[in-house]
Amino acid sequence: MSIHSIRQLRGVSRRTFLAVGASVLLFAACGTSDQSAVNTVADTVAEASTDTAAPEVSTNKIVSLSATATEMLYAIGAGDQLIAVDKYSNFPAQANAFEPKIDGYEPSVEAIAALEPTTVLIAFDPGSLQSQLEKLGIAVWVGAAATNFDDSYRQITELGELTGKTTEAEALVSSMKSEIETAVSSMALPDAPISYFYELDNTYFSVTSNTFVGQIMAQFNLQNIADLAEAGNDYPQLSQEAIISANPQLIFLADTKCCQQDAKTVATRPGWDKIDAVTNGNVVELDDDVASRWGPRVVDLVKQVAGAITAYMSKLK
Amino acid sequence: MTSLNLSGVGVAYGTRNALNDFTDSVKPGEWLCLIGPNGAGKSSLLRSIAGLVKHSGEIRVDGSPLRMRSARRRAQLVAYVPQSPILPDDMTAREYVVLGRNPFISHFGTETKHDWKIVDDVLHRLDLNDFAYRAVGTLSGGEKQRVVIARAIAQESPILLLDEPTNALDIGHQQQALELVDKLRQEHGLTVVSAMHDLTLAGLYSDRLCLLHQGYCVSSGSAAEVLRAETLAEFYGVSVRVHHEPDGTVVVVPFRHMETSSDI
Amino acid sequence: MSTREDSIARTGWLVGRWWIPAAAVAMCAALLLGAMVGPAGPTWWRVPLALLDRLPLISLDSGISPREWTIIWQIRMPRVVLAALVGATLSLSGACYQGVFRNPLVDPYLLGVAAGAGLGATVVFTVNRSGSSSWIVDPLPLVAFAGGLIAVAVTYLVGAAFGGQRSAATLVLSGVAVTSLATAMQTFVLQRNTEVIRQVYSWILGRLSSATWSDVRLVLPYVILSCGVLFAHRRLLDVMRVGDDEAAALGASVKRIRIAVVIAATLGTSAVVAVSGLIGFVGIIVPHAVRLLVGASYRLILPLSFLLGASFLIVADIPGRILQNPSETPIGVVTAFLGAPFFLLLLRTRQGTR
Repeated sequence: MSIHSIRQLRGVSRRTFLAVGASVLLFAACGTSDQSAVNTVADTVAEASTDTAAPEVSTNKIVSLSATATEMLYAIGAGDQLIAVDKYSNFPAQANAFEPKIDGYEPSVEAIAALEPTTVLIAFDPGSLQSQLEKLGIAVWVGAAATNFDDSYRQITELGELTGKTTEAEALVSSMKSEIETAVSSMALPDAPISYFYELDNTYFSVTSNTFVGQIMAQFNLQNIADLAEAGNDYPQLSQEAIISANPQLIFLADTKCCQQDAKTVATRPGWDKIDAVTNGNVVELDDDVASRWGPRVVDLVKQVAGAITAYMSKLK
Repeated sequence: MTSLNLSGVGVAYGTRNALNDFTDSVKPGEWLCLIGPNGAGKSSLLRSIAGLVKHSGEIRVDGSPLRMRSARRRAQLVAYVPQSPILPDDMTAREYVVLGRNPFISHFGTETKHDWKIVDDVLHRLDLNDFAYRAVGTLSGGEKQRVVIARAIAQESPILLLDEPTNALDIGHQQQALELVDKLRQEHGLTVVSAMHDLTLAGLYSDRLCLLHQGYCVSSGSAAEVLRAETLAEFYGVSVRVHHEPDGTVVVVPFRHMETSSDI
Repeated sequence: MSTREDSIARTGWLVGRWWIPAAAVAMCAALLLGAMVGPAGPTWWRVPLALLDRLPLISLDSGISPREWTIIWQIRMPRVVLAALVGATLSLSGACYQGVFRNPLVDPYLLGVAAGAGLGATVVFTVNRSGSSSWIVDPLPLVAFAGGLIAVAVTYLVGAAFGGQRSAATLVLSGVAVTSLATAMQTFVLQRNTEVIRQVYSWILGRLSSATWSDVRLVLPYVILSCGVLFAHRRLLDVMRVGDDEAAALGASVKRIRIAVVIAATLGTSAVVAVSGLIGFVGIIVPHAVRLLVGASYRLILPLSFLLGASFLIVADIPGRILQNPSETPIGVVTAFLGAPFFLLLLRTRQGTR
């Protein structure tokens, strides 16, 4: 993302923040049952969703095969509309409680049909799933992996329309935007970009700045050592020598859950004790799921990164 | 009855010449037997007539060149029994013999009643009735040999090529097989070219012999003319005695130099 | 012929002929079973009623809802029919390859079809990675199909260049080389695009669960053409059993037969692989099982491989729907689980007869 577009985003965010913030206050004051109040306030908002008010008690029965969509649903208060989730939907705890869980890569269309859902949420189609479900009269919502924040916000908004939680969705989007903006703008970034290594798994697969997570890092003016590793490959595998010689100042571990890596195990890797990030204690342990999804917890990721940079800066002094 | 004419036939495997400039004329109904040490070119000659190997020179059947014919037409004229025929274990004798009818069945066609009649006929004449529905793998060596010959006969081709037909057989079955071939030759007017190791049997059954050595025909003629002790000593490197029986049979007998007995 | 031979002949005739209608009945039963069993849908005995009801002159009340009918007709039936087509084609191709290369360990993927199709699929997944299908026609089956054909063509050209249309062994070695090359290229592409690994792996394992009627329509002409040509060669495959040399001496054009069989088998195999991925073991197991049952004449092996191959895959597809309900177990896993013990059984039986 260029600086120009970030500034544009910030400008728009301020206006939206003011407008939506006002509506949120009014909304909270009047209570959820006051539909007319909500409508009036909604009209004044520039980027309000245009749906008419959804019914009070939703008759939706939703199956979510996307872990991110599950998180989004719970975040907008539509978690009670879920009747089944996939194997990776492990957050929040209520989602994790569903049994049995469906494999999103090998779903059984018949079994899903037997649950008689109204809508199925997917992040990708493992093969004819959408067409088969639609033949059975089941609506399918596709929320593909986000490549930037706007994708994520749009998906939350769409889910809000789908579940009749438009206001909650708007609120979530605006709060996400403002929190992210706060986190970014409250940082005193150094002039020189800070180099970092993002570890996807313990065989040193990484991501470039073209990915969603890479763009988050770029917002903080961080420089990714994997960017020039392999032209055209956004998920390159780096060699240990390359990582050590690049000497990143920060290391982000996105394999703490899958591969049991943490600051200690990194320090024991031969040769890695020479890396600045290791010697200065700037190895950041991320939650795999938080780092790989594009739902509401993206905010947590952004805050964690901001915190890591702050810690780094303080150690410099 | 069909004549077979070979002129200047040569077979080369890479740089090695297995057969050089072989010229001969087999009269209709004649039995020519090729003899010679291992690697002399006997098999190569038979394979070239059967169309299995590239050769130089010309091979004619009844005057017209074999090269011009399609594989099917060639198979209708020439039946080839190889040295070690492949007999699929679980094929019945009947199924095996009907393979000989292949040259007469259209590419995608199946056997007709006529074909099966010929097969049953041949099995009967070769005394293989009891084995018709038995798997070929369960037969003894002699029975297997008869089945292979049966296949060649079912092909109804006027020229029969036999490569070492008696190698794996005991003396009784050797005689049986050769008598059979001779009988069929007379009945059907077949022209036979065979390659054999047993010199006595070769002389006994064939009309004419041809001794091959390193790809050349070094001696050709009747048994008495070709089977001489000096000739055999020179080309086989073997010590033999050659007897002539009263009825004209030439018998080749190897002998050993014993210290106590005197040589002839 | 004596009466003893007559009775043996008659028995042999009967035994041989009896197998084919029996196998046809087995296939119909399998089709029905496949339609009746599933994790959802109507109770099993309603299904045949519903299917019969669809026939022109019959009207029955099966008591199923429209949604249940959609499950049967749009979700289950295409899957069962595709399983039949794939199983039949792979088994028939495997049997013919075994005949033409005279090697019992040969399967229809021998000459590079699998590797070529896999490479094609990998390329499509990589290019299409964003998930947005902006193509008018789904490119996956087309590219996989082309990949399979191209790989076999390369195998043939390379094999022929090294003196091998007559020699079966050269062709097989050439196939091994081409397979290795295509697999290496596939690995390289995957390495650079790791985010599609899961999808490619899923495709490689083989999948019938996403079958639609359009998949069936796509595959049908190739299957008909391929199987038609292969059936026509059944007598010739018996002739080939005595070896290339003797077959040639019997007037069979070995080269032409081999090319025709390879082309026809490749066409069929490529087509079914393109829509169902790489389902393994069917092409080897079924022809061998048939051999154990009826002996080695290709006149029986070919039709029985076709019919029993169809039945086998239909039945093998059923556990996949049920074992990990509400998820699917890939069919490649099921056939592999069946394949390994089968080979052991085969080994044991062969030991016994020797």
